[in-house]
Amino acid sequence: MARKAQRLSFVGVLIVAVASSLGAQEAHVGNLTGHADAGKKLYKRFCIGCHGERGDGVGDNAPFLEPKPRDFTAATFKCRSTLTGNLPTDEDLYKSVVRGFNTSAMPSWAPLTAQTKIDLVAYIKSFSPRWHDEKPADVLKIPTETPVTIESISHGGELFQKLECWKCHGQEGRGDGPSASTLTDSKDQPIRPYNFTGGGRFKCGAENEDLYRIFMTGVDGTPMPSFNDVIKPVDAWDLVHYLRTLQKTRKSRENEVLKAAGGKLLPPKPEEKKPEDPAKEPENKGAGNGRK
Amino acid sequence: MRTKSMLVGVSTLLMSSSLMFAGTVSGKVTFTGTPAKPKTIDMSKEPSCAKQHATPLTTESVVTGPNNGLENVVVYVSSGAPDDGQVPAQAVTYEQKGCQYLPHVLPMHVNQELKITNEDQTSHNIHPLAKVNHEWNKSQPPGTPAISEKYEKAEFISVKCNVHPWMHGVFAVMNTNHYDLSKGGGAFKLPNLPPGKYTITAWHEDYGTQTADITITSNETKDVNFTFKAKAY
Amino acid sequence: MYVVAASKNNDSGRWMSVWSGLATGLLVLAAMVSLTSPSSAIPAFARKFGMPCSACHEAWPKLNNFGQVFKDNGYQMGNDRDSPISKDPSYWPVSFRITPHWHRENTDRVGTDQVPTGQSVTTHGFDLSGLDILTGGTLSKNISFLLTPSADNTATFHFESAWVRFDNLLKSSWLNVKVGKFELDNLLSEKRILTLSANGGSYRAYHFRPQGGLPGSIGADLPSPLATGIGDNQIGFEVMGHSKNSYTRYSVAVVSATDGNVSLPTNRGYDTFLTFSQAFEAGGLGLQRVGAFAYVGMYPTYGLTSGGNFLPGTGVGNKMYSQLGFFGMWYLKKLDVTTMYTRSKESAYLATATPATAALPIGAHDPSWNGFLVETHYTVNPQFILINRFDTIRMSQQPLDSLTKDFGNLNALTFGYRWYPFMNSRDGFAIHNEYSRVSSKGISPTGNDSISSSVFLGFDFIF
Repeated sequence: MARKAQRLSFVGVLIVAVASSLGAQEAHVGNLTGHADAGKKLYKRFCIGCHGERGDGVGDNAPFLEPKPRDFTAATFKCRSTLTGNLPTDEDLYKSVVRGFNTSAMPSWAPLTAQTKIDLVAYIKSFSPRWHDEKPADVLKIPTETPVTIESISHGGELFQKLECWKCHGQEGRGDGPSASTLTDSKDQPIRPYNFTGGGRFKCGAENEDLYRIFMTGVDGTPMPSFNDVIKPVDAWDLVHYLRTLQKTRKSRENEVLKAAGGKLLPPKPEEKKPEDPAKEPENKGAGNGRK
Repeated sequence: MRTKSMLVGVSTLLMSSSLMFAGTVSGKVTFTGTPAKPKTIDMSKEPSCAKQHATPLTTESVVTGPNNGLENVVVYVSSGAPDDGQVPAQAVTYEQKGCQYLPHVLPMHVNQELKITNEDQTSHNIHPLAKVNHEWNKSQPPGTPAISEKYEKAEFISVKCNVHPWMHGVFAVMNTNHYDLSKGGGAFKLPNLPPGKYTITAWHEDYGTQTADITITSNETKDVNFTFKAKAY
Repeated sequence: MYVVAASKNNDSGRWMSVWSGLATGLLVLAAMVSLTSPSSAIPAFARKFGMPCSACHEAWPKLNNFGQVFKDNGYQMGNDRDSPISKDPSYWPVSFRITPHWHRENTDRVGTDQVPTGQSVTTHGFDLSGLDILTGGTLSKNISFLLTPSADNTATFHFESAWVRFDNLLKSSWLNVKVGKFELDNLLSEKRILTLSANGGSYRAYHFRPQGGLPGSIGADLPSPLATGIGDNQIGFEVMGHSKNSYTRYSVAVVSATDGNVSLPTNRGYDTFLTFSQAFEAGGLGLQRVGAFAYVGMYPTYGLTSGGNFLPGTGVGNKMYSQLGFFGMWYLKKLDVTTMYTRSKESAYLATATPATAALPIGAHDPSWNGFLVETHYTVNPQFILINRFDTIRMSQQPLDSLTKDFGNLNALTFGYRWYPFMNSRDGFAIHNEYSRVSSKGISPTGNDSISSSVFLGFDFIF
């Protein structure tokens, strides 16, 4: 037993040693280099109220916030260019700091200087040993966007049915699918699926490319899974184009193309139609209701 | 390639030599008190699954057998076993069928290949809520190939499907090959233990853990029994 | 809020009483400025958004660029949490600020009835500042407001600010319109000044007027001489715009020339204020900013009377006064230095209080003067800041030939610290300690320099 305790204390010393070496964490974006030491002071100034001194997301204000502030010690991040389960890149974190999360209390920190932001990113990376232990993961490759055509949008609509996006997001993208009300995040907090009809920007960016990245890499820590293993890159752009048409009130090339086509999707190609697929049934209904 | 096969050969030799003095721990996991009644699962939101179950499924977090036997308890050597480092070559499979995880608890070795299949006509998302390992979340529509994954660290991971909130399971990732999952009457068996001191741990997802220290000296079979106190809710 | 430097217009002893009146007036002015100086450090915002004061304030009430952008966006973060209806109904956007303190003021060579040639006058004791009630936020998306009922230290209220702002018009951050009583877009803000004492609580350049040519009430019983201060809140409208990160900012304001006083007491004149600034990053040093402003105003020299009494708001014979300023805010990590140069000029009619219809006194000129300011902060951490300011005015043209070249030149030195024992997102609390000393060339009754000093020790708190 005594020996075990000894070993434990040795492990403890090791952990302390590792933790202190984590303090030297750096972050790199472009030619910027962030330093955790500098970031620590900035974190206290800007972030501590919500994310807490230990980075565990239980700052003074956390009880009053919904959704809860990110727990950096878990090192699970929503907006990543890396595949699900991996750490985000420094640039991903930097972009999240710049962008903010518009559906949460996290504002855009764009007004801070680039150096301030990169220092903060470096410090955020010191809260989990994963940043120390793991090699950078591969970044999702996004092929050039395919042209927006009614065929592309229609095929995207079929994918929306086939992949059962509507289970959570609803047939019209209102975020009211049959499973929507039961969703919880990884900390058992209720979470709502994105409502496309509001037209607001997505959690992880405003561009088509961001939308592509969101469903391909998934939103880790939330019910939104990764589709990278099940959608081919070409099909993914089709889904992007379709999803944009769910944002009815938002001006977009996709909505123009759909309008030009009379507001109706093309019928599914016969060879792809599987009559026994029960998920197929609601498609026409939903599409018909969605666009007059 | 050659060194690898040589290594495998050596370790097989070592293993077989240790087998010569192998002991066995076996026993039963039971409960006292009254466990909560399993709840009936309403799958009406997923007709393709509902129709696969003549009688509706019930929740599986507590499964009991005859004579107060407790099932789905992971019994494993938590310390003392010289971990042979042998990652089993064959994969373990986790099946999604009828909107249910089969098995409910899936024990596996660290770094062992884990195959997840979807036999249903509906999309599932596999969302193991790992804390020590990486938390990932993947969609698996019908007819897509098996997902292949592995876990690098020992952890008991709760698994859920966000689309079908009733679906719940466990990945029991361990740093040992000496494990068993209690069956029908709560019986388990840990064979092939070389002489030594061991801590045997029994883990149940609702009732927590229990441990027992034992010493194996020769070719013997030691009886170890675990009794959990049932929670009424 | 007028400074009335009472004096008689006879020749004998005229200057002497002017001097003593001026000295007293200066004291009164400084005291008023410091005691009614409200700031926009608003814990109601911290409560609303869950951030510590330090997120928006370099050291409250001084803003950092994040706070500047928040303010420029019309008190909006730009996420879904700005609208009042996204908040708990029990949330009230109200904050209170008051500063109980002890202070000591000393002025040497004050002409008194007992010693007309001047004697040293010292006062000290426990005192209160005024109370600011700050309520602000958004009425709806892109409609912001700020209302500041403010009491002097006897609880007599006035509206320090009361405005509505339409933000991001044409979906552009470059167009925002504000109407009401508001602070001009001063990046060197007297409402966010880190010094509070009678002598140190204002920027001299914003309030200075040439000495010696100012005999008191001017023509036709106009209530007071020109008493505008760029740092004071004014009534009018403002068009301002900024880049998304507020690195580039501009503001144009047109305000009534009443120095923020209600009921149009003086005239029908309008003043114009323009400012522009540009910030740039200097690696790890921080954000640097340079900018300029111009203020051009007209002020009446006489007005209509009825039965010998001035008819309010009828001032005519407008004459011009103007100020041009350049400023820089330089950050060297924890050390930051603010520099400002101002060039001011006004009509000899205003400076000598001569109605536009009358002839100027012999030897009268349009006075002009330069102001220099260097303010240094050392932010040890968000909870402790050291402050030092050197503020000086140099006359370049006296209003009257009879005055010596350096008459009225002013040097003000202020230093102090603010210590915030805790930092959270519910309230603000600072222990404030400051010393300030002002010397003015030749304005004492004996023609010597007049020197006054302030010591201030208090608790500045806001909830």
